[in-house]
This record gives sequence, C-alpha cells and structure tokens, in this order.
Amino acid sequence: MGAVDLIRAGEPTPSAWRFRLHELAWRDLVEALRTDPLPFCGLWCDGADMHALFILRDAPLAVTLVLEDGRYPALSPAREVSTLYERAAYDLYGAEAMWARDVRPLLDHEVWPCSTPLAGQPGVSEARTGLVAFQPSEKFVAATGPVDGWGPASGGVAPPWHVAFTQSGGVIGLAESQSGYAHRGLALRWRGSRAEEACRLSGRLVAGQSVAHQTALCMAVENACGHVVGEKASQARVALLEMERVLHHLYTLADMAERAQAPLVAAHCMMLRETMLEQISPVTGSRLLMDCCRPGGVHLPQAEQMGALCDSLARMGLAGHPALQELWDSFPGLAARLTGLGVTRTEDLARVGLEGPVARAAGQDCDTRRLLGLYDGLWRYTAGRQNGSAADRAQLLLDEIAESLTLLAKLAVHLGDAAPGRETLSLPDAEGMAMVEGPWGRVAYWVWLHQGRLAQVFCHNPAAAALLVFEEAIKGQPVEDLPLLACSLGVNAAALDG
Amino acid sequence: MRLIRAVLSVAFRQSMTTMKPAGRGGPLMLFHIETGGCGGCGMELRALASAPYDLGGAGFGLAGTPAGADMLLVSGPLTRMMAPVLQAAWEAMPDPKGIICLGDCALDGGVFGENYATLGGLERHVTIDLRLPGCPPTPADVLAGLASLLGGGVQESMPRSDTGGSL
Ligand code: SF4
Repeated sequence: MGAVDLIRAGEPTPSAWRFRLHELAWRDLVEALRTDPLPFCGLWCDGADMHALFILRDAPLAVTLVLEDGRYPALSPAREVSTLYERAAYDLYGAEAMWARDVRPLLDHEVWPCSTPLAGQPGVSEARTGLVAFQPSEKFVAATGPVDGWGPASGGVAPPWHVAFTQSGGVIGLAESQSGYAHRGLALRWRGSRAEEACRLSGRLVAGQSVAHQTALCMAVENACGHVVGEKASQARVALLEMERVLHHLYTLADMAERAQAPLVAAHCMMLRETMLEQISPVTGSRLLMDCCRPGGVHLPQAEQMGALCDSLARMGLAGHPALQELWDSFPGLAARLTGLGVTRTEDLARVGLEGPVARAAGQDCDTRRLLGLYDGLWRYTAGRQNGSAADRAQLLLDEIAESLTLLAKLAVHLGDAAPGRETLSLPDAEGMAMVEGPWGRVAYWVWLHQGRLAQVFCHNPAAAALLVFEEAIKGQPVEDLPLLACSLGVNAAALDG
Repeated sequence: MRLIRAVLSVAFRQSMTTMKPAGRGGPLMLFHIETGGCGGCGMELRALASAPYDLGGAGFGLAGTPAGADMLLVSGPLTRMMAPVLQAAWEAMPDPKGIICLGDCALDGGVFGENYATLGGLERHVTIDLRLPGCPPTPADVLAGLASLLGGGVQESMPRSDTGGSL
C-alpha cells in the first residue's frame, strides 16, 4: 500500500483530511514513506497526540497518532526534515521519537527554568546561566580541520543563530547550525489566545513574511468556522501578499548585493523599496504590513485606497524594473560573484522538501499560488533561469518582483475604489488548516478552536528545510560567503525557532 | 544573575546632550544585537542604514564588533539563550558605553512578555540610555531618537541615578 492509502485507511476524524492511525499502521507509514514521494509538511505534538501533515496535490492530508508512554515512531528515517520537528517536540513536550536520526536539543539548551515547558507537567531543569556551548553531531566531531563559528551576535540585523564549521584554507568543509536563540515560545503564547491575539503573534513570528503568516492563520480560522471572506477582502489579501513579496525580494536582493560588494545595487534596491513604502504605509498602516490581515477580512486605515495603491505601485515598479535589472546585470563583478555560488542540488531539495523561490530557481515546479482559489484568473508563473546558484536565485527574485507587480496591476482593476473590511466570526469547536505562498515558499497553519479561543496552533514555514539545504550548499564554499549564502537561501532563525 | 551594568560616565552623559564627546573623532558607533525578536526592528535598522536615509551623515555608524562600539543597540525580547551573549557583548565594549533599546520587545517584551524562554524586555533589568518604542519604530523615529543623543534634549529615559540593574 502507498502512503496515501495507508493514511486513508486510518480512523476518520471530524476533518475529512485527517485520519487517526494506530502505532503499527504509523510504522507501516514510515516504511512506505521511504519510497513514496508524498510531500511532507510538518510534524507536531499537542501533548497527547502527534500529528503529521502532508500535501497531496496541494491539499492537506494529515495523520494523528496517540503518544504511547510519551513515545512515537520517528518520521525522520523517511523524511530528513522531520528531525527538526522531532527535536522541537522533545524539547517542548518531552515526546520521544523512536529511531530518530538526530536527538540533539534544538530549542532547549538547559537555560530555561524548566524542561518540557508545554507538557502537562513540565520537568526540572538545570537552568544554566552561561553561554550555550555548541553541541555537534557525531559526524561533525569526526570531521577534520579547524573548527570556526559565526553568530549568534555578528553585528548584523538578522535574528540570532549560530553556525559551526570546519574549514581548510578558507573553504568550508562541514557546517552545522545551533538554533534556539530566537525561540520565544510561540506555541505556548498561541495556546488559549483569542483569534485577534493569535493573528498579532503570527504577524510577528518572522518580519518580512507577516502577511503570509497572518493570512494563512486567518484562513485556517475561517476554514474552521466554515466562513468565506468577501471577494474584495480576498482580493485585498492577495494584494497584500504580493506587495509583501515585492518588498521582501527587494530587501533580500539588497542584502545579497551588499554582501557581494555591490553597494550601489543594494542602495538602488532599498531606494525603490522605500519609495514604495512611502505609498504603502499610509494605506495599510504598517511599513512591514503587520496587522493588515485580520480574522474575517482585512484591517486597512485607508481601505478605499487599496485599488489606487495597487495601480500606483505597479506603474512605478514596472517602470523602474528594467533599470534595476540592467544595474544588476552590469554591475562589475556582481554576476561573477554569485554565479556558481551555493548551488542547490535537486536531490537535496527533494530530500528535505524545500519549495518556494529556492526550489524554483533550481528548476522545480512548485508554487502554492497555483491552486489557491484566491489567485483564480490572476496568476501566471513565468519560469526563469534554473541552475540553482545564488545568481539564479537572485534572477528569480527579480522575475518574481515583475510578476507580482503585474498581478497588482490586475488587482487594481478588480479592487477599484472598494473599501474591503472584515466580518465578525463566531468560533465553533473545530479545526481548520490553510496555506499560502509566502515570500520564501509555503506557509501553512493548522488551528484547533475551543470555547471561542485557539486551543492549538501549528505553523509550517520553509525555514526548517532551508536550514538543511544551507548546511549542504555551504560545503566547499568560501568562509566569507557564509552570510551571503544564508541570505540567498532564506535561512531565518526567527521563523525556525518560533 | 548579575547581567548588565548599563552605566554611562557622567562626562559622557553630559556630552550626549550637546555634542559627541570631545576627542572622539568619527561617528558614534552602535553595535546591534538582536536578542530574539521577529527581526522587524532589525529590518528597519537596515533601512535606516541605507539610502535614502543617511545614518552616517547623522553621525552614527554600525560597528562590526562590540569592541569597536560606543553604544549597544538592542532589539527583540531578551531570550534566556541570548542573555549571556548580550552580557558578553556588553563586557567587550570599552567605557564609556550605553544601551539603546530599539522597539517595544527590547523595552518591555512587547508581544513577547516573559515566559519560560524569554525574560521580556530590558527595562526591568538594566538602565536604558535611549528608548525607541514602536513595533517596530520607523527609520525616521529611530533617527530622530538617535539624533537626540548628539544634539537633542535630555531623554526621559536617561540613565537612572543608580548604577544599573541585575537579572
Ligand atoms: S518590537 Fe515588534 S517589530 Fe520589533 S522585534 Fe518586537 S515584535 Fe518584532
């Protein structure tokens, strides 16, 4: 039996897309997944059950297993990226993954006042106070060459994380990350929150991807309620998602250019972004587009201006795009610096399930927008270069900026001078799931509603898979290119740590 | 745990209300440390350090190491894992030195108040020399706040008369 059949043979649940398995069936599923390519989205614990989410033809397919004595068979032997979810579930709940590939701490480095803080009965902790030591894997310990490190405080602006690496002659051999520095306990903060509070938190899980996170959370809540937001509010959400993509890609390109010693190109990207922000912030009320999307619709101080804003951004952005492209192509040394840097291999991307622009720049055909009803009649994917290097990723971001601006031009016509708003939701006891295409790929939320509040919230974003791809792609690269490569692959500690 | 003694020398404190301290050529150097937030405050700092803003022209620079910094610029709630990192950065800075809190999280935890993983913001723990509230504050707000260090009025948030706090 294939993985899908094994899942569907499980006990039905109130959600048509989720099934409950017994432990032996779960073990069979793990075996089947070794050869079955069913895309894996994430694994979470709620204290009593483990839940795994898969994506079947862009629709969710989930499976649940009750924890037996706090244990469950690991999925990581069949899905490498599951190691990060399994380590998080152990640190937060004490849920033990049997036959796991990696059991090192991910979030809990014994500085918390208790262990397993989300478990019904948290454990005791040593509550250490000094700097956290790097905990290498056995493979890393066995590697040769002097060991060096980068982060968590590098003087830059990105959320904190640490990378240890072996090097020889300025070239990286093996790299391993240590995370947890940016862990704020989102899962606990979401637990028992009102929908508005949960939305505010999701908008601050990772800056630059706020609309994606807030929209996915709101849609998950609305799906649980059986509520469909109005057409104009839906269009406003798409407009916000695409504005965020344009702003995010300009920021990322600026970061890449700066790190590749092309400050003029970086300044050009930031200038264009800032010019757009001057128009965006009065209409949306937030430069980083936080809190614009709310459960039931959108919240925009000048909602009636959204159509005009889309039109203006599209005109200005598309007019300025050729100059940006030309500057990017012609700036001395930039193309040479990025070409061949951090090439992602198709098998690595497939192995860890990384999607989004990193995978698209390596020739993979993946974009959540394709099947989202929100984008009906609006979106058309235009493929660019696909060799998987930092240069290809940069070009893809440039292409996607133009694509999103074209989409905004279409949305301007649809929105006109409508003033999209929001409707009041009444929250039943139910679960819901939704996903959108964020700037770095798929963002999915799975929520359980109980007594008018959110009992549990699980979030999937591309950060876990991006970290594993980074650790592969950095091998053989110059040490000084580490931050540039992390930036071009979308590694983000805030998104990873939660 | 004794964490940080955020003390500015009297001479430096007075000088901040007028001009940069005499004998200090060049810009006032800031070492930014993100202590566990969403990264939004850092993004706005990045915007401020880029065109069309002119952070350098306003008399500020971003230091690559704490040893080269005059002020510690903190954003994000203080996670328990970042607390010793923050302390190490502070201790590596030469005297006189001070602390700037960039954003609500760094000040009082913002949406990320104290829990098992975070200690909330810095204001309950140390003396803060400049407060830049907002979630996130805009680059213009940050620049105006920073400018007050060099030539503006005394901040309501200037150092308390005690010698700092502890965690
Ligand atoms: S103050 Fe707001 S923008 Fe800044 S780190 Fe905290 S949540 Fe993010």
